[in-house]
Amino acid sequence: MELSAVGKRISKKDAPSKVTGSAAYIQDVTLPGMLYGKILYSTVAHGRITRIDTSRAERLPGVKAVLTGAQIPPFKFGVYKDNPPLKTGKVCSLRDEVAAVAAIDPEIAQEALDLISVEYEELPALFDPLAAMAEGAPLIHEEHKTNILKMPWKLMTGDVAEARKAAAFTVEDTFRTQWVTHCCLGTSGCIAQLDGANNLTMYSNTQIPYLAQKDFIEALGSFGMKGRRVRVIQSVIGGGFGSKLDTYAYEYIAILLAMRTRKPVKIVFTREEEFLATSPRQCTITRISQGCSKQGKLLFREMEMILDNGAYTSWGATTPSVMMLPISSLYRVANVKYTAKCVYTNNTYSQAMRGYGNPQATFAIESSMEQLAEAAGFDPFEFRQINANQPGEHTPQGFKITTCGLSECMEAVRKGLGWSGKRGEKPGRGFGMACLVHVGGGARVYKSDGCGTMIKIDDYGKIDVFTGSSDIGQGSETIIAQIVAEVLGVPVDDVNVINNDTDVCPWDVGVHASRTTFVAGNSALGAAQRIRTQILEIAGAALDEDPSGLDIRGGTIFAKHNKEKNMSLTKALRNVHYAPGGKVLMAEYFYDPPNENFDREFKGNLSCTYAYGAHGVEVEVDKETGRVRIVNYVAAHDVGKALNPMLLEGQITGGGAMGLGYALSEEMIYKEGRLMNGSYLDYKMLTARDIPPMQAVIVETDELDGPFGAKGIGEPGLVPTAPAIANAIYDAVGVRIKTLPMTPERVLSALKEK
Amino acid sequence: MVRYEYYKPSTIPEALDLAVRFGGDALYIAGGTDVMVSMRGRKIAPKALISLRHVEDLARFDLPVLGAGVTHRQIQESDAVRDRFSALHDAVSHLGSPQIRNVATVGGNICNGAPSADTACPLLVLNAEADITGPSGDRRVPLEDFFVGPGKTVLERGEILKALAMGAFGANTASAYIKHTRRNAMDLPIIGVAVRITVDRTDVRCGDVLCGTAPISEILGHFKDEDLRCEDIRIALGVVGPRPMRVPKAEAGLRGRIISEETVASVAEIAASESTPRDSVRGEAWYRREMVKVLVRRAVMKSIDRILRPDERIYPDRLW
Amino acid sequence: MGRELSFELNGEEIKVEVEAHWTLLYLLREKLGLKGTKEGCGYGECGACTVIIDGKAVNSCLFPVMEAEGKQVTTIEGLATKEGGLHPLQQAFVDHGAVQCGFCTPGMIMSAYALCQEKALPTDEEIREGIEGNLCRCTGYALIIEAIRAASPGR
Repeated sequence: MELSAVGKRISKKDAPSKVTGSAAYIQDVTLPGMLYGKILYSTVAHGRITRIDTSRAERLPGVKAVLTGAQIPPFKFGVYKDNPPLKTGKVCSLRDEVAAVAAIDPEIAQEALDLISVEYEELPALFDPLAAMAEGAPLIHEEHKTNILKMPWKLMTGDVAEARKAAAFTVEDTFRTQWVTHCCLGTSGCIAQLDGANNLTMYSNTQIPYLAQKDFIEALGSFGMKGRRVRVIQSVIGGGFGSKLDTYAYEYIAILLAMRTRKPVKIVFTREEEFLATSPRQCTITRISQGCSKQGKLLFREMEMILDNGAYTSWGATTPSVMMLPISSLYRVANVKYTAKCVYTNNTYSQAMRGYGNPQATFAIESSMEQLAEAAGFDPFEFRQINANQPGEHTPQGFKITTCGLSECMEAVRKGLGWSGKRGEKPGRGFGMACLVHVGGGARVYKSDGCGTMIKIDDYGKIDVFTGSSDIGQGSETIIAQIVAEVLGVPVDDVNVINNDTDVCPWDVGVHASRTTFVAGNSALGAAQRIRTQILEIAGAALDEDPSGLDIRGGTIFAKHNKEKNMSLTKALRNVHYAPGGKVLMAEYFYDPPNENFDREFKGNLSCTYAYGAHGVEVEVDKETGRVRIVNYVAAHDVGKALNPMLLEGQITGGGAMGLGYALSEEMIYKEGRLMNGSYLDYKMLTARDIPPMQAVIVETDELDGPFGAKGIGEPGLVPTAPAIANAIYDAVGVRIKTLPMTPERVLSALKEK
Repeated sequence: MVRYEYYKPSTIPEALDLAVRFGGDALYIAGGTDVMVSMRGRKIAPKALISLRHVEDLARFDLPVLGAGVTHRQIQESDAVRDRFSALHDAVSHLGSPQIRNVATVGGNICNGAPSADTACPLLVLNAEADITGPSGDRRVPLEDFFVGPGKTVLERGEILKALAMGAFGANTASAYIKHTRRNAMDLPIIGVAVRITVDRTDVRCGDVLCGTAPISEILGHFKDEDLRCEDIRIALGVVGPRPMRVPKAEAGLRGRIISEETVASVAEIAASESTPRDSVRGEAWYRREMVKVLVRRAVMKSIDRILRPDERIYPDRLW
Repeated sequence: MGRELSFELNGEEIKVEVEAHWTLLYLLREKLGLKGTKEGCGYGECGACTVIIDGKAVNSCLFPVMEAEGKQVTTIEGLATKEGGLHPLQQAFVDHGAVQCGFCTPGMIMSAYALCQEKALPTDEEIREGIEGNLCRCTGYALIIEAIRAASPGR
């Protein structure tokens, strides 16, 4: 059946407002009487606060409130509840918030910060997780008695020890990944506004409006305002990539300043603050060993990780739960052992970033796979083919693979590169590939993985879709409109999507785990089908036809067996509305996918379907300078069905660019806990002149449970980039770089050592 | 925000008067891409800015003299600079971004005094002299004496850099600037290398090998029997010391000598030993020293290529 | 200390009272209500604040407001047609999927606009150079380059 909206290259609905500059980001929103908040950060990495004097700041004309930790109710946020929005007693990192100011304009607020004097008694600081783990190391959080967090990260399947004995070939090595940051062009910000009854409205650029709502409700309770309403209104988001997946100190500070001043308070980060005080991707130290049989079948995979948890705990400490995905289910391997330790240090702390641990784990796994292939005498492509996951498999972690386009993706990569799949094929150049697995059908991280949708249709056939999901730039609003338009047989332009107000839209767990197309899509699909059923019933009665014999296209309802028997959609709607006992059509649908929470052993079918993919790259290494040039790049992704190929390409090329930066040039450089390159000049994300030719290959496997067959794609785009390049460098010049990023210095050092 | 008054003198005497009037409270500003950044970064807080944008005398574009107020964009668009002062053209083509190049000036780049200033090394090898004027009169300073330390030049308070007077070069001369960066735009150099070389003739038999992608040592192998002599050479390095610097010992190693694999390699080694790079956030000392060796060779070859194949605008897909 | 500034903004002569120490970006966003031009960094490193001054792309976050005197300034708001339709560049960005979060978009379009005024049929290399001062984290630039290519006036 020919689809009218789904599968088409349809422009994003919000693109016109963005190209004219009329879209309102948090930077652009002002409210009457609004004050501007600014935060003072610690100047030592570890120390006791011995004195804070805010008197001069308080006296500055234009300043309406000054707050320190001592003046706010006791409250801690974060997954481990160890993070107070304003620190008292001690500071544990150079991004600790020590005081905050609200003033009538940002310049006065900054001046006020300069007038606050803070004295610290410095304490010995720890910047290395290995040192922090040692006996007798100074404690970052004294109440915990150890710097190692109590985290349950341990996954075991099969019997690794036995498999080790049986393996004909074994490799072992250590890989390190760095802190990188989201670099959203729109910095973080919010406006906190309380009404007369202390109900809170947060203007926010969050990706998790309902989880944020919950966090703020809890916070209000701690601040003495139990039972108040919280409304989260999302302004247009200037980039997410996971950076808005948690609630942050600055949001609680804005609320506290709003409470104190009884005025709306806006806090927007400067670019320096964005680098300093937002949380980067979790860095890792991974020991991995893998073994295979003589025939090249993977027998075991054992991985141990140490994660620098920094000074406080955010999502970084939970990335092992996602790292388990590729560890257990990238390629077929029955015997797996994985443990991870998270360690407090006086460094910055990490949270969610696109891929959420998958890129880090895949770097180790796919580099190690290449080493094992070589040890066992197999070519890179062939070795992967032998061990590729197949549709219908159940992996040792309990994932039920439904569709799986891994083999097709691998073949597409090989062909796209013009590569035989063998080592050493092109003198002066190198080929490398790596594969990925990620969740593609939601992820039951919380007890609910659901998304609600409400739809109404008016007399003119114009549709309003209220969805709990958010558009963070990826185009979910457009995808939802396409799905609804397809089901209801109307033009996409007639579908309006409302997705940014918790007072209006039903609950959704949030934009994470690449779940929006699948879950929000299915939710919209369900609601649209309910409307369609109502429409066809009405038309069936009017046309004297069985509803199952009718279809809707281009705003006309017609009998499938005789197109002449028809009526316009709007006529049907008006007829049923303007009549005694009339009806206006509305529907709702809450879709919570049939996936599973992990059990205590971290096993369970986390997602309804899994997205597989493969990336391949051809590189040229300048042996004298160590610079790596990407000559060709192919990214093949199993997406189930491409609901909008144009938006899909954007996710793939955008993810690829981020992956290239992760692999070759991006790194947050810290010296004794101090960020040394917190600017767009010194933090090396890619410019338009750094992009290699990139082929995005879309593989469609028609996922039965996905809306029109689709799976998620938000994160996979950057998961295998780093190991693909590391493997290609090895192919080109015979050195393996095991630390990211693979800078010219690292490549040249390795070449000299050879 | 720093609060300052903004003045737009239209002649040099007017500008000097303002400078004298405000003393240490005023700063000159041209394109502003350094001054505005420093103010935003809270490094300086002048009470007055004296804009030099409207002083016509500073905008003269009269090769080999460049007014300090000439923008990088103007230099990039000049075919004459591209052909006869190629190293400078290389520098401005990779400096900042189009937005920066449209307003930023060569004088501003030099007066900011950064060891990484892209136009500094090319101007050093192009024999530039700084034309300075100030409350106490005019003076001329060879560019190698202009830089005193990181961010510091010989300019006294109130003095204005009027122009950069480059040398006049005859036939058989070409120059090149290589900016070694981590990404291909919006970047500061890990190191920068500029070379200007004059050779004794252009009728070499093996000129065509320069079209290939063979490594330098192989290409120079072909030059063995040519007896192509270097008559004059200047080499300047950026970000390997507190100031953009020439390397006279390295220059002496090739001046008057035959160009061959040995002489070029030796010159590169000497240049590396004369450099004093440091570890910094932007690069490590050992790597910078290695790159001096590699990039001096490449810059020499690129310059020779420009002499021997002057009409070729498109270079083959090679690494230098 | 108010100073009077006269210049042409989006085709219209205007006179405004400014403080000498403002940047052009500050004037546009905070005083003239033109929020289409964005501040991405404040250091001239990302291009989100790009406007056109006398035909040339400039980072307005580094442009002293007093230098706007007598100049022709064009912002993203000035690109629409008289009837309120989209400029071909804007339309191309919409049609080719070159917009995701959109924060970089106004600055990116202005750089493209400046480029196309000078080069009616830019090569891919020239397009990349034209936007090398505009950072984008969402798209990976590929579709942006495609959009600019499609909208080149010489096509």
